[in-house]
Amino acid sequence: MASLSSCCPAAPFALLLGTLASAVHAQIPPPVGTDEFARRQTTHWAWHPLRTEAPPTSSPHAVDAFLDARLHKAGLQRAPAAEPTTQLRRLWFDVVGLPPPPDAVQRFGADPSDAAWQREVDTLLASPHYGERWARHWLDLVRYAETMGHEYDFEVPNAWRYRDYVIRAIGGDVPYDQFVREHIAGDLLPSPRRDADGNNESVQATAAFWFVEQTHSPIDAAQHQADRIDNQVDVLGKAMLGLTISCARCHDHKFDAIRANDYYALVGFVQSSRYVQAPLQPVDVHGAAYQAILTAQRDLATAWAANAAGTTWPKLATTAPEQWQDEATPPLREGERRLLDSEGSLAEWFVTNDGFAAAPWRGPFCPDASAKTPQLFVLPGAFWHSGTAGARREGTLGSPTFLLAHRYVHVRTAGVGSRIKLVVDGFHLVRDPIYGALHRAVDDPNAHWVTFDTAPWAGRSAFLQCIDQVAPDLADPDHDRSHYPEHGWLAVQTVVLSPHGEAPPSTAGNPLAAAGWSELPANVQQALATLRTAAASLPVSPTIPSLTDGTGRDSHVALRGDHRKPGAIAPRRFLSALVGNEAMPTGPGSGRLALADAVLHPNNPLLARVFVNRVWHHLFGRGLVRSVDNLGALGDQPTHPELLDWLARDAIHHGWSQKHVLRRLLTSATYRQDSRVRPEAAVADGANVLLHRQNVRRLAAEAVRDSLLAVSGRLDAKQFGPSVELPKDAHIEARGRPARSGPLDGDGRRSIYLAVRRNFMPPMLLAFDLPTPFATVGARNVSNVPAQALTLANDPFVHAECARWATQLLATSAADVDARITLAYTGAFARLPSHDELTNCRAFLADTEGSWPDLLHALVNTTEFSYLR
Amino acid sequence: MTRPDCPPPSRRDFLRTAWNGFGMLPLAHLGLRTDGGAQRRHHAPRARAVIFLYMDGGPSCQDLFDYKPRLIAENGKPFGLKKEPTQFNDNGNTLGPCAKFAQHGDSGQWISDLLPNLATSADRLCVVRSMVADFSEHTNANYFLHTGHGLQGRPSMGAWIGYGLGSDADDLPAFVVLNGGLIPPGGIDNFHSGFLPAHSQGSVLQMRGDAVANITPKETVASRQRQKLALAHTLDTATQQRFGKDPAIEAAIANHELAFRMQAAVPDLVDLSGKSSGESKALQSLYGLDDEYEPTRTYARQCLLARRLVERGVRFIEVTCPDTHHDRWDQHGNLAKGLRDNCRMVDRPIAGLLADLDARGLLDETIVVFGGEFGRTPFAQGGSGRDHNPFGFTMWMAGGGFKPGTSYGATDDYGYKAAVDPVSIHDLHATILWQLGIDHERYTYRFGGRDLRLTDVYGRVVKPLLA
Repeated sequence: MASLSSCCPAAPFALLLGTLASAVHAQIPPPVGTDEFARRQTTHWAWHPLRTEAPPTSSPHAVDAFLDARLHKAGLQRAPAAEPTTQLRRLWFDVVGLPPPPDAVQRFGADPSDAAWQREVDTLLASPHYGERWARHWLDLVRYAETMGHEYDFEVPNAWRYRDYVIRAIGGDVPYDQFVREHIAGDLLPSPRRDADGNNESVQATAAFWFVEQTHSPIDAAQHQADRIDNQVDVLGKAMLGLTISCARCHDHKFDAIRANDYYALVGFVQSSRYVQAPLQPVDVHGAAYQAILTAQRDLATAWAANAAGTTWPKLATTAPEQWQDEATPPLREGERRLLDSEGSLAEWFVTNDGFAAAPWRGPFCPDASAKTPQLFVLPGAFWHSGTAGARREGTLGSPTFLLAHRYVHVRTAGVGSRIKLVVDGFHLVRDPIYGALHRAVDDPNAHWVTFDTAPWAGRSAFLQCIDQVAPDLADPDHDRSHYPEHGWLAVQTVVLSPHGEAPPSTAGNPLAAAGWSELPANVQQALATLRTAAASLPVSPTIPSLTDGTGRDSHVALRGDHRKPGAIAPRRFLSALVGNEAMPTGPGSGRLALADAVLHPNNPLLARVFVNRVWHHLFGRGLVRSVDNLGALGDQPTHPELLDWLARDAIHHGWSQKHVLRRLLTSATYRQDSRVRPEAAVADGANVLLHRQNVRRLAAEAVRDSLLAVSGRLDAKQFGPSVELPKDAHIEARGRPARSGPLDGDGRRSIYLAVRRNFMPPMLLAFDLPTPFATVGARNVSNVPAQALTLANDPFVHAECARWATQLLATSAADVDARITLAYTGAFARLPSHDELTNCRAFLADTEGSWPDLLHALVNTTEFSYLR
Repeated sequence: MTRPDCPPPSRRDFLRTAWNGFGMLPLAHLGLRTDGGAQRRHHAPRARAVIFLYMDGGPSCQDLFDYKPRLIAENGKPFGLKKEPTQFNDNGNTLGPCAKFAQHGDSGQWISDLLPNLATSADRLCVVRSMVADFSEHTNANYFLHTGHGLQGRPSMGAWIGYGLGSDADDLPAFVVLNGGLIPPGGIDNFHSGFLPAHSQGSVLQMRGDAVANITPKETVASRQRQKLALAHTLDTATQQRFGKDPAIEAAIANHELAFRMQAAVPDLVDLSGKSSGESKALQSLYGLDDEYEPTRTYARQCLLARRLVERGVRFIEVTCPDTHHDRWDQHGNLAKGLRDNCRMVDRPIAGLLADLDARGLLDETIVVFGGEFGRTPFAQGGSGRDHNPFGFTMWMAGGGFKPGTSYGATDDYGYKAAVDPVSIHDLHATILWQLGIDHERYTYRFGGRDLRLTDVYGRVVKPLLA
C-alpha cells in the first residue's frame, strides 16, 4: 500500500498470499540509466543554479521591470493603480487576513501617497495578525492537524504548540533558512534558538513530522512505518523543495532526476528518529531552583551517611543497616543478552529531556518526592533514575534499536506514574488490540520485573522507551491520565533480552520495608524535607511532540516499494542530483544535522525558489511557477524565470527574510494595479499569465470567518494557547468525536485557533476550501459551491454575528441612518457607499421595519464581502 | 479525460463548478447538473446510476451467503487451515453458521434464512463469492473499499463517478450519501472528493433533523430571505457595474441563486408523507416503512429515498447503516443476535428496493451493490464471534447489466480464502465503471505530479459478471 504521494503501491498482501488473481500489472518503470539521469538534471530548469540576470531598467522597481518587459513584448501594459481603498483592502487581507477598520480606510483614503502606502505595509508587517495569517499558509504545507485521523482520531498531544511556534517564528521574521533548519534538526542544534524566557524554540519545529496520519493497531507495523515515513518524506520534499520525492518509493522517479535510492537515503534519516514529547524549558532555565535541588541532594546524602552506621532505624528494616546489600545486576542465563546495565554506561542509549540523571542512583533507599507524605523507598542497587532530583524532572530513556532475536524482554524497574513501552518498527501508538501488551504502566516503587513477550514480532526491529512525564503519551487510551499521578518517577536497573519467560532471579530480593516519615532519623527527615521543597519549586516544563535521535540506521531500498523485499542499503544522504553519490558524514544518531546542512547548502537552488514562489502565489493568486508544490518535470514552467531567480537571490541576500520579500512585492505597482477585466488585454492574455491586471480572488476560509468577527466587533485578538473546540452539533456521530463542545462563535478567536481534528474539521472552513490535512497543499482549491452560499445565508454563526454587528452599529454615535449604512459599508467593503447603494439600503430598511441585522446579513451575502478586487 | 490538477480559472470552469456543486454535511457540496464538458464516457453505458448498500463493519458471509457444509460438519473442532494474523488474534476453533441455508429461485442461489425477503429476489442477484481486500482493519479497509486506497485522502468512488459523469438532476448532487446514523470508521473521508474538485464530494443527507446542513432558512418572517437576497443581488449588480464584470464573481452570484433553489428541492425529496410525494402506503409498506423495528423503518426510508434519487438523476447513492446497537456488522462476539438484528434491518427494505426498481424499469439501468469492507473468519473469535477476514468474502450486485441469478467465484471449503476466480476491490471498481461507460485505465486525474486513477495501477473488468 502506498500513500497518496507515491506512484505505485507495493503488492497488496492478498497477492502475496496467493489469493489475488487479478494479478498486479503495475508497470514498474525500469531503473533510470546514468545518461538519462544526467539528461534530466541538465535539461530541467529547476536543477539549474539561480540565474543572475539583472532587472531591466525600464522601471525603478525590479519586480515591475521584469513584468513590464514581458507585457511590452506582448503589446500589453500593466493596469493603472486600483482605487486606494481597493488597494488597502487587498493589502489588509493579504498581510493580516482581516478587513481594514473604518479609521484605516479613512486615513488612507485621505492620503493615498506612496509614503502612506509604505507606512501601511510596515505597520501591517509588524502586526501580530501578520504572523497568524502567514502561519496558516505554512500549516497547509505541513498538513497541520491536532489528531491522527483514522478510526479513533487520537489526539497528538500538545500539537497546538507547533501552531504557536509557527506564528511566533513568522511574526518575528525568523530567517527562512533557520526555520528550515529547525524543521529538519531543531532538536539537535548545538545552540537552539531561545525565546526571551529561555524556552527552546528550535525543537518545536520538529513537531511537524508528527502531523502524519497514524493508524490504530495496524496488523503490519513495518508497513505502517513505511507509509508513515513516505508521507513524512513527501511533505518535506514538497514543502521545502517543491519536489515529489516520494514518487521514487517504488522505482526511480518517472520524470525527475530522483532515484529510488535517493528516496531511501532520506528514509534513513527519518527512520533513525523517534517520537518524544520534548520540554520547551531546558532545566537551565530554572537555574536557581535547579541548583537548590542539587544542593539538597548532596545534603541528604551527607545526612544519610552520618546515620549509616550504628544508628537506630526503628521499623525500617528487618535487618540492621550494616547488613544491607546492594542488589547486584543479575547474571545472564543461557542465551541471554544484556541491553542495559546500571553498572555500565548509557553511551548507546538516548536520554532525552532532563529527567534521567547522568549517573545511576545507588541505593539502598531513594527519596520518593511524589508521595503525599515524604518517604524513602527501598531501591537496592544502582538504578538509572528520573526522580532523584524530584518528580518534576521528567524525561525519556530510550534504548538503542535492536532486532527481536529473543522472545522476551525483561526490565528491572521501579517507579510511580510512569510507563515503559516497546516500540516495534517505529510504531509509537502502542495500544490494544494487538499492541497493548507492549505498553506497561510502572506504578510500584519497589524494584520489580516487567516482562514483554515479543513472540508476534520476532525478527522485527524495536526499541524501549522508559517514560517519566506528565504529558500524555501516544499509547494512552484516549489520553486518560487519571490513573497516573501528576508527577512520578522511573528507575531502571537492567534490561535483559532472553529466551526465558521467567524473569531473571534477583540476588538480594527486598529485605527492607518502605520507610515512613516519622521513622527516619531527624537529620535525614530534615534533609529530605528540604529536597522535597526544592524539587517542588521546579516548574514542570510544557512539552511538544518532537523528533529525537535514535540509533542511526541506513534504510534498505525496498524493491517495488515493498518493505518485505529489502534491496541494497541506501546510505543516508541528500538528493544525488544536488550532492552527488558520495556518502554523507552523518555522525552518530540520525544525522539530520548534516541533512539540514545539505538542504541549506548554496548549491541547492530549490529552497529559495520554492520559498519566494509561495509568497508570490499568496499575493497574486498563482505562483510564478503555478504548481507551487512541484517544480519538477510534471510541474509548470515558470512564467518569469529570471524574476523568480532574482527574487530568490534577493531573499538570500536579505537574510532569508520573508518580510523583506513581502515588502518587495507589496510595494510594486504590479501588486497595486487594478483588477478590472480589460477586453483588449483579455484577448492577448486571457489567463492573465503576464499579470496585466491583478487577479480577483476569493477570501480564504479563515478570512471569511474572521471578517465576520471583525465587523461584528466580536474578534478577540488574544493570541496563542490551546485550540478552541467546535460546537459539538457541528459534528456527526462517529468514532473519536470530541467529548468537549465549544462555543458557536469560537470565543471570537481567529480561525487559526480553532481545533483541527482530522475527522471533525470545521464545517464552515471546509466549505470555503480549508484543505483536509493529509498532504502538502501550497495552492488551495478555490471552489464555488452552494454550500458557501448556504453557509452565508443560513448558518447560525453568521446570523448571530450579523445581529451582534447591528447592535454595535446602533450603539455608535452615528448621526442617522445614512451614517450607519456608511459605517457598515466601510467596515464590510472598505469603501463608502454610492448614492444608489444608500438608497437601496434605506429602502430595504423601510420594507423590513428597520431590521438592521437583516440589512447587514444582506451585505454579508454580497460577493463583495468574500471577494478581493 | 485527463485533467490538470490546477485548472486555470476560466469562466467556463467557474460556471461548471457552480452548476456542479451543492453542499454536504460538513457543508461541502451538492453537485448539480453538469454541462457537456463533464461527460466522460468511453463507450455506451449499460447503467446510469449506482446504489451502494454499504454494510459497515464486514458482514459474516459464512452465515449469509457462503454455504459451506464442511464448516457445519467441523463446527467446534480445531480449524483445518493455517490462520493468518487477525486484528484481535483471539482465534478459536471452527465456527459453523448460525443460520440454516437453502437454495432459492430458479438460479438456486444459496442464501441463509436470516434473509428471507432477499431470498425471494435470488434470481435478481449476481453474487460474487470470492471477493478479496487488502486490509484487516476497518479504517484502512473502508478507505480501500471506497477509494481504492488504504489511506486517508483519496477520492471516493462516488466522487470519481460523480465528477466523471456529473448529475442528471437540476438541483441535486451527483453523489449522495444517505446516512442511516452510523458514519463508518475513517469518518466522512470515506465520501470525500480527495484531490478532485470539492463539488464532487459526497453530500451526506441525514435521516433526522435537517437533511443537509444549513438548508433551512432561519428567518422568522417568511419573505425576509427573499428580500435580503434581492438586495444582495441588486448590490452585486451595481458592484459589477462599478468594478467591471469578472467571471469568478458572476459564478458566485449564480451560486447564491442555486442555493436558494435547493432549499426547496431537498425538503421535497425527503418528504415521503405528503400527497405530492406519490409514494403509496402499499409501496411504503413494501420497503418496510411500517415495520415494527425502528432500524428497519430507517433503512426502508433510506432505500426509498435512494430510488427517488435515481429517478431524479443522481449518479451515485451510498446507503449507510442505521444503528442496531451491535457495533454495525462487526460481530466480534454475540454473532447470532447481532446478525439477526442487522438482517432484520436490511432484509425487507432491500427486497422492496429491488422489486420496486424492477417494477419501474429502473433496475436495468441501476447497479445495486451490496457488501462490506471485508468478511469474517470461519473460526471463532472468543466464544461467539468472528474476526475480520479480507481473504475471501461475498458481495452481490443486481441490475445495471450484471448477470442476474448468477454465482461467481468461490472460497475454500471453510469459506476462509477466495479459491476460485478471486475478485479484488479494484476489479469491482473497474467493473462498475465499465458498466457506466468508463474505462478505468483511461479515467485519470493529475495530482501531485501523477495521473491518478480510482483503481490505482490495478483492476480489470470482470466480464463474466456482465450480462
